[in-house]
Amino acid sequence: MHTDELKAVVRDAYTAIDSSTEAIAYKLYSPHELAQVPRSAVEGALGVGNHLRFAQIEEGETVLDLGCGAGIDSVLAARRTGPTGQMIALDFLPEMVERTSAAAAEARLANIETLEAEMEAIPLADESVDHVISNGVINLSARKRRVLAECARVLGPGGKLSLSDLTVGDEELPPEVLLHPATWAG
Amino acid sequence: MAGALTERDFVEKLEKAGFEQIEVHHREPVSVDDLALYPLFTPELIQLMRTLIPSEREAAVATSVVITARRA
Repeated sequence: MHTDELKAVVRDAYTAIDSSTEAIAYKLYSPHELAQVPRSAVEGALGVGNHLRFAQIEEGETVLDLGCGAGIDSVLAARRTGPTGQMIALDFLPEMVERTSAAAAEARLANIETLEAEMEAIPLADESVDHVISNGVINLSARKRRVLAECARVLGPGGKLSLSDLTVGDEELPPEVLLHPATWAG
Repeated sequence: MAGALTERDFVEKLEKAGFEQIEVHHREPVSVDDLALYPLFTPELIQLMRTLIPSEREAAVATSVVITARRA
């Protein structure tokens, strides 16, 4: 699937969601973690893992969340980098950027800045970020090499990358499944 | 999920992008039942998966991985 077509499929699928996905949050995050996050972010969880358990986020770091969605990881990471740090929550969907902004306001976190942009062209300076996090979105890009190159560009030497994502085995799924548009969006 | 890489390809792309100390910390099989939690996968697609994917494979149609790395 071509880049523009894939983006349209992802955009349509994400903006069409009209029900709570809190079951995903309960599966991936501990009660302690969920207690730190506004209800709206819990109900909009769409991640595929919990890389924050392995991410070494230090106080004062600048952290970039690629594909922030409803903001659950951005809020958790913002609490860890603290008021001297900065959380940049990026998503190409304005609806998701708005949801993360609302979650940040509800959580009273002034260190979250939202950015409506594409992960294939991150509008940040070279070596301006200490840590990139991402949850289940790199598989959605038709230009993964470009996304990873952008991550490397915005990170300084020694900069950290922590992510959750879906991988597949060598055996392909049936073509009827693989070619279904929803398989590209999820 | 249709655009997901194999773990081997993912790690290779990270290396080519200039990352090192790449570690896969966690692997979790993703079943068709797990995918059904995500409204991104329509009921029609979930039903198609249940029909076309052999039952022994439905428990692991993908793998969720947690990876950390450092920029060289």
